[in-house]
Amino acid sequence: MMNQTDTSKFPRYDKLITDARVHSSLYTDEKVFEDELNKIFRMGWVFICHDSEIPNAGDFVRRNVGREPVFAIRSRDGEISVIVNRCAHRGNIICQEDKGNTKALVCQYHGWAYDTKGALVDVPYPGGFKGDFSCHGLERLPLVDSYQGFVFASFNENAPPLLNHLGRATELIDRAVEMSPVGRIRLSGGWVRHQLNCNWKMLPENDTDGYHVNFVHPSFAQAIRSNYDEAVLDDEEGLKSLAKDWGNGHTELFFSPSYTRPLEWFGCAEDRHPAYTKALLAAYGEEKGGRILRDGPPHAVIFPNLFLGEMNIVRFEPVAPGVCLHVHTPMYLEGVEDDVNKRILRQSEGALGPTAFLLADDCVIAERAQNALQGKGRWLDLSRGAEREVVADDGVISSHLTDETPNRGFWRHYRSVMHPGAPTSGVSAVA
Amino acid sequence: MISVEDRLEVEAFLFKEARLADESRYSEWEALVDDDMHYWVPLQESQEPDSDQVSILNDNRTRLATRIRQLNTGVRHAQLPPSRMRRSISNIEIEKTGADEYVVRSNVVLYEFRRQATKELEVWPARVEHKLRRKDGELKMFSKHIFLLNSEGSVRGLSFII
Repeated sequence: MMNQTDTSKFPRYDKLITDARVHSSLYTDEKVFEDELNKIFRMGWVFICHDSEIPNAGDFVRRNVGREPVFAIRSRDGEISVIVNRCAHRGNIICQEDKGNTKALVCQYHGWAYDTKGALVDVPYPGGFKGDFSCHGLERLPLVDSYQGFVFASFNENAPPLLNHLGRATELIDRAVEMSPVGRIRLSGGWVRHQLNCNWKMLPENDTDGYHVNFVHPSFAQAIRSNYDEAVLDDEEGLKSLAKDWGNGHTELFFSPSYTRPLEWFGCAEDRHPAYTKALLAAYGEEKGGRILRDGPPHAVIFPNLFLGEMNIVRFEPVAPGVCLHVHTPMYLEGVEDDVNKRILRQSEGALGPTAFLLADDCVIAERAQNALQGKGRWLDLSRGAEREVVADDGVISSHLTDETPNRGFWRHYRSVMHPGAPTSGVSAVA
Repeated sequence: MISVEDRLEVEAFLFKEARLADESRYSEWEALVDDDMHYWVPLQESQEPDSDQVSILNDNRTRLATRIRQLNTGVRHAQLPPSRMRRSISNIEIEKTGADEYVVRSNVVLYEFRRQATKELEVWPARVEHKLRRKDGELKMFSKHIFLLNSEGSVRGLSFII
């Protein structure tokens, strides 16, 4: 009975999403948005931060999980907690700074004090407080786990383990961190918060859409000679890059087959960073090190809110049905010369954010789409290339770069999350 | 203390620079720029130009030339059609830093009608610092730093010349 009551309250996602099309109301309906905040951003795993952002005891960063303000903080024992940013007393913001370091968290309103794990340790004027300290701690997210330093959390204590959610996509994260000869990245460059007046799902969809590049970014192609000329701007027969669906909503544009020489993905000559080249070959050996140097970093979305954007890390933040944030930082590498990280920084500023050569155009296109989807709405086609997909032994689906394989993968997983029990097809969830 | 003549010349430069930017006359605007230009919108008020902190925009002369080239292609969707803009400049303080060099600090409020997509009016308040030098008898700008009031908040698409 409960199930019937629950599903009747919400849109019929099984009807609104098929492998060939999705309905535009999924981008505009307030009820859908609220339902997503619950089923995706509370009940599932969400990317919070990288542990390099809070390396020392007492370091913290503020984040939003859906609409919930939270912060991640490292305790003296090294553990990272993700805590709702709301005093247990009268609900005030506990942690006002975007980032910092603290020994304790003290509410500015009435002075309640908490330790770095959120336990209540002091209440001013204690004579009037008859409660139990242990019952008045801050709300901690019950599940916090990390993979390669990427910290994820969930409000749902019964969510399956993080590794189940990541599934095969751990390989994508591995490929990102292996750009460093010591296998570690550092997110210390600060985050730019780019607001787009479109639905948040257009971000993961567009970031792994290989079909739009020639049409949305012709000004980039005309003004700049870049590695993207080979990777995404060739004609249909010439394109060697692939579009991939890794399962569980994780998707990728796989540019590596387009690259024929080391550091082509980095937009420079192969002898431009000799110390970096030497360090990678020494760390991973000639074969794997050579492959990393030629293949470059992943361009992939980890469902629902993490984009491994080559040498950038991006968080997607839903704000309202028609408002979202694309929040980026350069993905600095540990164990490399400063000139490598300097190049990463300059490329990050060129590609992402409000003024970027690329993203500024995506932004306008997405905002126009959001405008077009208002009103009664219509069906959006998702069928391109379905008949020429190839399923590998590990279940990963590949197709031509311009095919809608990643978007189908996103929506298939979305449907299974939003409408549990609906029959699925295509790549299955990882057991 | 600078002379009245110097002040008038510097102000005239600022007003012309603003007008060309407002009217998306990209190449005419670029003609005001010297070879060592640094065009910068930092993320933080206290940011150093050469730090490891990411900027919203950080163009040396080469990258600025690329930016102008991209805008001039006529297929830069983000400015197709160009935003309609007007900016007001006030609180102009001029410091003479060399025989023919000036640092100019001002407050700017830019109004932008985003007619490419959402048709909204966006307001961009900022503190601006120009560095100018006299070259071949004319003022050129070799640095323009724009400190947006909301740089650390949520920032909308900014594909015009600010």
